[in-house]
Amino acid sequence: MALKPRIGIFDFTGCEGCELNHLNFEDQLLDILEHVEIVEWREAMDGRADELDIAFVEGSLSTPDCIERIHEIRRKSKVLVAVGACAVLGGINAMKNIRPIEEVREEVYGKDKYLFPTLPALPLSAVVEVDHSIRGCPMTQLEFLKVFTSLVMGKQPVQEDYAVCVECKLKENECVVEKGMICLGPVTRAGCDAHCPTFGQMCIGCRGLVTDPRLEAMEEILVAQGLSMDEARKKLQMFNANQLEGVTS
Amino acid sequence: MTAMMLDNDRVVDFVTHLQENKPVYAPHAKGRSSFVFDQVEKPDDVVLDYPRTLHSIKKFFLPPQDDLLDFNLVENSFTEPELKPFDAVFLGVHSYDLHAVMRLDYVYSQGNPERNYLARRQGAVFVGVSFTPDKHHFSGSVGIGTNDTTGFDVFLHIVDDGYAVEALTEAGTDLLQGFDMPVYEGALPASAHFEQHIYVPQGKLLDVFDHGYHSVVWSDEAAHCTGCGTCNLICPTCSCFNVEDHVDVTVTHGTRTRSWDSCMLRGFGEVAGGEVFRENLADRQRHRVYRKFKYISDETGEPWCVGCGRCTMNCTAGISIVNIVNRLVNEYDKSRAAV
Amino acid sequence: MTEHKLMDPAGARDLYLPEMAEIVAVKDLTDQEKLYEIVLPEGRELGHKPGQFVAVSMFGAGEAPFSVSSSPTRLGSFELGVRKVGMLTEMMHRLVPGEKVGIRGPFGNGFDMEALRGKDLLIIAGGIGLVPMRSLINYAIDRRDDFGRLIICYGSHSDAELLFNDERKLWDQDPRIEHHVTVDVGSDEWTGNTGVITTLIPRLELDLSRTVACVCGPPVMYRYVQLALRSKGLPEKEIFMSLERRMKCGVGKCGHCQINNTFVCTEGPVYNGLELKSLQEAL
Ligand SMILES: Cc1cc2nc3c(=O)[nH]c(=O)nc-3n(C[C@H](O)[C@H](O)[C@H](O)COP(=O)(O)OP(=O)(O)OC[C@H]3O[C@@H](n4cnc5c(N)ncnc54)[C@H](O)[C@@H]3O)c2cc1C
Ligand code: SF4
Ligand code: SF4
Ligand code: FES
Repeated sequence: MALKPRIGIFDFTGCEGCELNHLNFEDQLLDILEHVEIVEWREAMDGRADELDIAFVEGSLSTPDCIERIHEIRRKSKVLVAVGACAVLGGINAMKNIRPIEEVREEVYGKDKYLFPTLPALPLSAVVEVDHSIRGCPMTQLEFLKVFTSLVMGKQPVQEDYAVCVECKLKENECVVEKGMICLGPVTRAGCDAHCPTFGQMCIGCRGLVTDPRLEAMEEILVAQGLSMDEARKKLQMFNANQLEGVTS
Repeated sequence: MTAMMLDNDRVVDFVTHLQENKPVYAPHAKGRSSFVFDQVEKPDDVVLDYPRTLHSIKKFFLPPQDDLLDFNLVENSFTEPELKPFDAVFLGVHSYDLHAVMRLDYVYSQGNPERNYLARRQGAVFVGVSFTPDKHHFSGSVGIGTNDTTGFDVFLHIVDDGYAVEALTEAGTDLLQGFDMPVYEGALPASAHFEQHIYVPQGKLLDVFDHGYHSVVWSDEAAHCTGCGTCNLICPTCSCFNVEDHVDVTVTHGTRTRSWDSCMLRGFGEVAGGEVFRENLADRQRHRVYRKFKYISDETGEPWCVGCGRCTMNCTAGISIVNIVNRLVNEYDKSRAAV
Repeated sequence: MTEHKLMDPAGARDLYLPEMAEIVAVKDLTDQEKLYEIVLPEGRELGHKPGQFVAVSMFGAGEAPFSVSSSPTRLGSFELGVRKVGMLTEMMHRLVPGEKVGIRGPFGNGFDMEALRGKDLLIIAGGIGLVPMRSLINYAIDRRDDFGRLIICYGSHSDAELLFNDERKLWDQDPRIEHHVTVDVGSDEWTGNTGVITTLIPRLELDLSRTVACVCGPPVMYRYVQLALRSKGLPEKEIFMSLERRMKCGVGKCGHCQINNTFVCTEGPVYNGLELKSLQEAL
C-alpha cells in the first residue's frame, strides 16, 4: 500500500454505541492502524482535517445543524460510510417520524420545545450520497472489519441482501418461532451472523429490510402468532419507519 | 441374517462400544424441542428416539461453510485446505436421511465428480434406527419406510423394550464384534404408519409435474411466502452453494469459502447490473419444488425429496410441500376427468 | 434410491483450484471495457472452443465468468474482454501486464464448430456480446475456406461504445466479410445506421438452406432477434444463442446457473432455438 487512507470518524444523533464499539477493537486496532491514518475523531482526538479518503459516520440527522455538518463531511470525503442503524435507517430515532413532529417535541422538551429546533430523524442517505453502509444496532465488529478490509483493498464491500433466517439456518440454531416467540428474521437483512436468535432472542429488525421484502407475508405470520395487525406493523416500523414511509430505499 | 436384541438399558454400553474404534456421531437434544447430530462425548447424551434433527447428516460431507482454498494476498498464491475423510460411525440415522446422502453421492459423482465431497465421504459407517413418524414425515410416500435399511451397515429396529439389531454389511458385522447380545426372537416389525401422504403413485408423479408448470398453486403459495430460504437450507438433498472470498484483518490472507445457498432467495439469480433471473417468488417456489420432483427425477427416475418434512415444519409461513404436491395432483386428476 | 458405488475420490479432479496465469497485455477498448491477453503456466494452450468461457479468480474479490474472446486458431495466449460493472471487474481493471490472475476452465459447451463447417455464418452481436463472438469470427477468418459467407451484424447503444474498432476496420476491407453495424443513438459524427439491431435483419439476403445464426447480446435482445430471424424463414434449430446467468462454480454443482432442467455452465451457454423453446425460463 503506497499511501495510507486518511480516515475520519463522526457522530450525530444516536446512542454512540456504535462509535464506542470502535474502541472495543483492542485486538484488531493495531492491525487497523497498520493500514490507515485516523486524522479526525472527536471522541479520541482534537483537530479537523480538510480532506479525507474515508469518513465513517454514525447517528441519524435530526437538527438543521446536523444537515449542515453532513454536507461538509460529504464535501471533504472521497468515500462516506454510514455506520449503525441510526445512520443507515434513521434508527429507533425514526420511530418518532410516524407521529406528528410537534407532539414529539412537546413530549420530549415540554414547554421549552421552541428552543430546540428538530427535524424528523433521517438516515444520512436522505440528505447526502452514502457509498457504503455498516448496519446494525449496534453494528458488529465482524461487519465493521469486513467493510474496512474491503475498502483498504480497494474493493466494493459486499452487502448481504438475504434474510437473517439464512444465517440462523447455517448455524443450525433452533428457530425462536419454534419456541413460541415472534421474529422479524424472515424480512430482515442478514450480516449479523444471526446474533440475537443465536442467543435465543427474537430478531427485532435492526439491520433494515431485505430488497423487495414480503411485508404482507410477514404481517400474516405475526397475526397468526396472535398479534393484531396494528401491533404487527409497529414491530416492523421500529427500525424501518423511514424505509416503509419511502424516505429511503 | 438373524437380528440381536439390544435392551434399552444397554444402549449406553452399546454407544461406548462403538466409540472404541472410531468417533461416533449421533443425535443430541438442543434447545426447547430440537435435535442435532454431534460427536458423542457422553454416551448418556445420545437420543435414539427423536423425530428429526435440525440439519441432516449432509452437514458432515457438505459443510454449511466449507473452505475451498486459503489465499495469500501478498504473494498472490493459494493453498488447498486438507480434505479429510469423515471416518466415523454415524449412529441413529433415519432412513430418509441416508437416502438423501445417496442422492448427494449421485450429484457429486456424476458430471464433474467433486473431490471435496467424495474425499469426505470415505470411511463412514452408518448405524440406522427406525422412527415413529410425526405429523410432518411422509417418506413412505416416496418409497422410504421407517425401517428401510438401504445403505446402512447396521440397523436398529425399534421393538418392545429396546432395539432389534441387524448387521447388514461386513463393516457392520465388524462393528458389533465384541459386544454380546442375545438373539432377537420375534419377527422384525414392518414400517410404521405415516400420518402424511402424497396421494400419488411414483409413476404418475412425473405426469403431474409435466402438467403443473403453469398451475395457480405457485402464486397462491408464494403469496404467503417470505422468501427467507429456510426450506432449502434445511433440506437434506439441497446442494446449491454460494462462493465468497473472506479477507482477514491484516489484509494479507483470506479464504475462499462456499456456503449453503437457496434458490428461494432473490439474489440467487441476480447478475451485475441488477437483473434478477427468477424475480418472481412464484417462479422460485416452482423451481424449488421442481428440483425435488421433476428435473433431476426425469434423469434418475427418483424423487429428490425424501419426505423428511423439514421444509414444512420449519416454514414460519406454514407452507407445506405435501400440500403443494397434493394440490397439483388434484388439479391433474381434475383435468384428466374433464377430458 | 438405488444404492450406487461411491466414486473413488482419486478419480475426481480438484474442481475449484485455479491456475495462476500471467497477464501479458492490457488494452483499452472503451472507457468501460478492457482487453486482457493472458498466458497460462509454461505457455500451455487453453484449448477452448469459440463460445466457451473461463472463471477468472482474483483473491479477495472472488471469481467471475468471462467468455474467451480470442480464437483457438491463434496460439500462445488467449484474450478476455471485460466490462467494468461491479466488485471483481473493477479490481480487474486496475491490473497491469506482469500481474497474475487465477484461471479455471474452459467451461461450457461452446459452438459446435464441426456442425458449423460449410455453413453461411450469420453472426449477431449486441453490445458486449461481440466479445465472445469475436472468437467465432476470427476462427472463421483463419479457416476461411471451411465456411460459406461470413455475415456480421453488430449493434451497440452508441458509437462511443463500439468495440474492436481497429479489427472491424479490417473486416470492412475484407471482401469475404459482410459487416453491418448499427447504433441505437448516434452522436453528431455518426454516419452509419441507427436503430436497434433487429433493423439490420430484414434487409439481409440469406440462403436459408445453409445459413446458421449465432447470437449473443443482452437478454432482451434474444426474443426480438429470434422473431426477426424466424420471419425471414430461418428454422429455430439453426439459431444458436449464448445465454448468461449468475455463476458460482462453472462445473454444474452450485446450482446458480440452472434454468429449468439445464445447467448453463455445463450444457450451455450455447443453445439452439429449439432447445430454448422447451426451457421456459430461458428467455
Ligand atoms: C457465460 C458468461 C460469459 C460472460 N462473458 C463476459 C465477457 O466476456 N465480458 C464481460 O465483461 N462479462 C462477461 N460476463 C458477465 C460477467 O461474468 C459479470 O459482469 C461479472 O460476473 C461481474 O462481476 P463483478 O464482481 O464485477 O460484479 P458484482 O455485481 O459485484 O457481482 C458479484 C458476483 O456475482 C456474480 N455475478 C454477477 N453478475 C454475473 C453475471 N452476469 N454472470 C455470472 N455471474 C455474475 C459473480 O460471481 C460476481 O463476482 C459473462 C457471464 C457469463 C455467465
Ligand atoms: S421457508 Fe417458507 S417462507 Fe421461507 S422461503 Fe421457504 S416457503 Fe417461503
Ligand atoms: S423438500 Fe422438504 S420434505 Fe423433501 S427432503 Fe427437502 S426438506 Fe425434506
Ligand atoms: S455455475 Fe455452478 S452450476 Fe452452473
